[in-house]
Amino acid sequence: MSNARLRLAFEAVPGVVETREAYAETTLVVDPARLVEACTHLRDEEGFNLLSDIAATDYFGWGEPGVAGYIGTAAGRDLHEPGSQGLAQVPAPKPKRFSVSYHLLRVGDDPARVRVQVWLDEGEAVATLVPVWPAADWFEREAWDMVGVRFEGHPNLVRILMPDDWEGHPLRKDYPLGGEPVRFSGED
Amino acid sequence: MTVVPSTRIYEGTRIPPRVPTILDVDPHKHDLGDILRVNFGPNHPSTHGVLRLIVDLDGEAIAGIEAVIGYLHTGFEKTMEEKSWWKSVTYPARIDYLGFHANEVEYVLAIEKLLGIDVPRRATWARMALAELNRIHSHLVWLGTAALELGAISMFWYAFDDRDAVLDLFELAGGTRFHTRYVQAGGLAEDLPPGFTDEVRKFCAAMPKSVDEYEAILDKQKIWLERTKGIGLLSAEDALALGQSGPVLRASGVDWDLRKNMPYLAYDEVDFDVPVYANGDVYDRYKVHMDEMRESVRIVLQCCDQLDEMDGEPWIADDRKVVLPPRHELHTSMESLIYHFKIVTEGYRVPEGEVYVVIESPRGEAGCYLVSDGGARPWRVKFRAPSFAALQATATVVQGALIADMVAVAASLDFIMGDTDR
Amino acid sequence: MSIVSSRYDIARFGMERFSSSPRQADLLIVSGRVTHKMAPAIRQVYDQMLEPKWVIAMGACASSGGMFNNYTILQGVDKILAVDIHVPGCPPRPEALIEGIVRLHEKIRAGIPPAYEIRGVAE
Repeated sequence: MSNARLRLAFEAVPGVVETREAYAETTLVVDPARLVEACTHLRDEEGFNLLSDIAATDYFGWGEPGVAGYIGTAAGRDLHEPGSQGLAQVPAPKPKRFSVSYHLLRVGDDPARVRVQVWLDEGEAVATLVPVWPAADWFEREAWDMVGVRFEGHPNLVRILMPDDWEGHPLRKDYPLGGEPVRFSGED
Repeated sequence: MTVVPSTRIYEGTRIPPRVPTILDVDPHKHDLGDILRVNFGPNHPSTHGVLRLIVDLDGEAIAGIEAVIGYLHTGFEKTMEEKSWWKSVTYPARIDYLGFHANEVEYVLAIEKLLGIDVPRRATWARMALAELNRIHSHLVWLGTAALELGAISMFWYAFDDRDAVLDLFELAGGTRFHTRYVQAGGLAEDLPPGFTDEVRKFCAAMPKSVDEYEAILDKQKIWLERTKGIGLLSAEDALALGQSGPVLRASGVDWDLRKNMPYLAYDEVDFDVPVYANGDVYDRYKVHMDEMRESVRIVLQCCDQLDEMDGEPWIADDRKVVLPPRHELHTSMESLIYHFKIVTEGYRVPEGEVYVVIESPRGEAGCYLVSDGGARPWRVKFRAPSFAALQATATVVQGALIADMVAVAASLDFIMGDTDR
Repeated sequence: MSIVSSRYDIARFGMERFSSSPRQADLLIVSGRVTHKMAPAIRQVYDQMLEPKWVIAMGACASSGGMFNNYTILQGVDKILAVDIHVPGCPPRPEALIEGIVRLHEKIRAGIPPAYEIRGVAE
C-alpha cells in the first residue's frame, strides 16, 4: 500500500472539501450534496468494495468547558442531566453539529481503508448509500435511530435498535443517559 | 492468488431489490393467498439469542423474511461516554460475549493509537495468544450450538467440554472464565501467571485431535451433508456488497483475513494459513470454522514459544500518565503517588482525534471508531459489529430454502445478539 | 449454558430438560440483560407458563440492571416478573447458577410458596 499513490487517487475523488491525515488514516471530507458521486467513484474507480461502518457523531457541546464527572444534586446523582466532559484544553471547533463517517475498505490485492465524512446540521439530510453498497441499509437505520440523521431515499428508514414507538434519539448529547438513581441502604 | 474469486456461485445478485434486508414475497412465484406469516422469536430455542424473524411461508418454502433486532440493545456506546477511559474498558467485553477478547483488544488498540504509546512485546504476544484462544472458544460454542440446532446433539457435549478447557485457561490468566478485562491501555492488566504457557501447550496438544474427532462425527454424516451442502448460498460479490467478513466471506471464496492482509498486533510474525472455500454454502462455513480452529492452535503454540522467551519482560507500558505505577513505588516516590491518584480519580486524558481500528474477531471484521475531545472520557465510541452486518445478509442467503434450512442458514452466519444490538 | 455441559452437569439435579415451550416449563431462567424492547416478550413468556412457576434472575444485569444504568436496560427483571432467586455475578459462574437452582429446590422443599404468591405480580 503506497501512500503517495493513494493520495493521488484521493485527489481525483469528486466533491472532496478537505483531506485530513492522522494516525495513518485518511479522512476525506465530502460535500453532502456530492456524497453519492464521491462514493460511486471510490467504489468503481478505486475499488473500495466493502462498506465497513457508518458512524454518526453528535458534536453538541464540543469544546464547552463543563463540569467533570456527574451532576450531583441534593438528592443524589442526577442521571437525567445530559452528560458533560471536563476539559483542560478546549479542542478546535467542528464545522457543524453532526458528522457521518463512512469507513470504506478495499478488499483485494492492494488493501486500503479510507474514511469519508460529511458534516450536517440539525435537520439536514444526506443521500442514502444503499444503491452504492447495500450494506448501508441497517447502518443508516442505526444512525437515524441513534442520532437522528436523515438519509434521503432510504427504502426503509425506521427504528432498528430502539422500540418502534420510542421518542428521541438516544446518542444525541442532549439526550440523558437515563436509568434509575441508585438507592443506598442507609438512606430513608 | 487473487483475493476475490473469478468463479461465480450463482449468476447475478440475489440481494432483494427494494430493501436489501427484506425479502419480499414475489407474486409471480407464490400465490399471495397461500402465504402464512409466522413470527420466530425473539424468544425462540433455535435463534441464537433474541433475534426476531418474520417469515412468510408458502407451504414449507420461505417466500419472504425480515429480521428484527434491537431486543438486546444495551446502550454500550452511550454508557461508555460517561465512564473514564480506564473504567470503560470493562464494557466492550460484554458486547460480543463469546469473542469478548476481540472487542476488548480493539477498543484498547484504539485508545493506544490515539495516545501514541508503545505497547511492550510481551503484552502484544500475550494478547495474540489470548485472541486465538478466544477464537477457538467462539468457534467451539458456534459448533456446539449450530450442530445442536440441526439435531447433532452429541456435538454439543463434546464441544462444550473442550470449551470448558479453554475457559480454564482464561481463568488461569485473568481470574474469570470470560469477560476477563485482561487488557488495559498500554498492555495487559496483569502479568501472565507462571505455568500459563505449559497449560496452554497441554491444551494445544489435545485440541487438534478434538477437531479431528468433530470432523469424524460430522463431515461425512449423511444428514449433516444433506442439511448443509448447497444451502444458504452467498456469492462473493453479494458478500462484499453486503459488508460480510470473517468466515462467511472466506466460505464464499474471498481470500481475505485481516490477520494476513492488514496485520495488527504481531500477526505478520507468525506462520499460519487462511482457510478459503469456494462454494458459499453452510457446509463451507462449517469447514472454515473447523480449519480456523486448527490454525489458531498453530498460532497459539508459536505465541507460547515467544512468551517463554520474553519471560520477565514488562507487560504494560511505562508511561506513568496512563498506566498505574507499580505498587511498591507508591511507598517511595511522590510523583508516582500523584500519578496514581490522578489516574484513579479523574482518569488519564487521551489527546483529541478520531481513529478507526479494525481487527479480525471470530466473527469477522470488528472495528472501533473512537472520537476523543482531549478529555477524561470518550466522546464517541462506535463499535462495528460483524454480526450486525451478517444479519443483513439473511434476506439474501435464505432464498430457495425451506423452513428447516432457515435454522441452519441463520446459525451459519454466526451472529451474536449482543454484538448485533450493542 | 455451561451448566448443561458434561463438566458442571445440571442433570445431576434433574434439571437437564430445557423445554422449548413455556407452556411445559416450570422454571424460567432470565439470563442476561433485559431491554425495554424485550420486556413485553418476556412477560408474555412468563404469562404463558402454568402455575406453579418459578423464576431465577441469573446475573447482575437480570437482577438489578447490573453495570448498565441507562435508557434501555430494565433495572432488574423483578420489575415485571416475580423472581424467586437472584444469582449474582457478571457473568455468574456455572457453580453459582447451580447453587441458585439447588437453593430453589431447598426453598420449594421447605414449603415456601413461589414468589408470585408472596409478592404478587404487577399487571
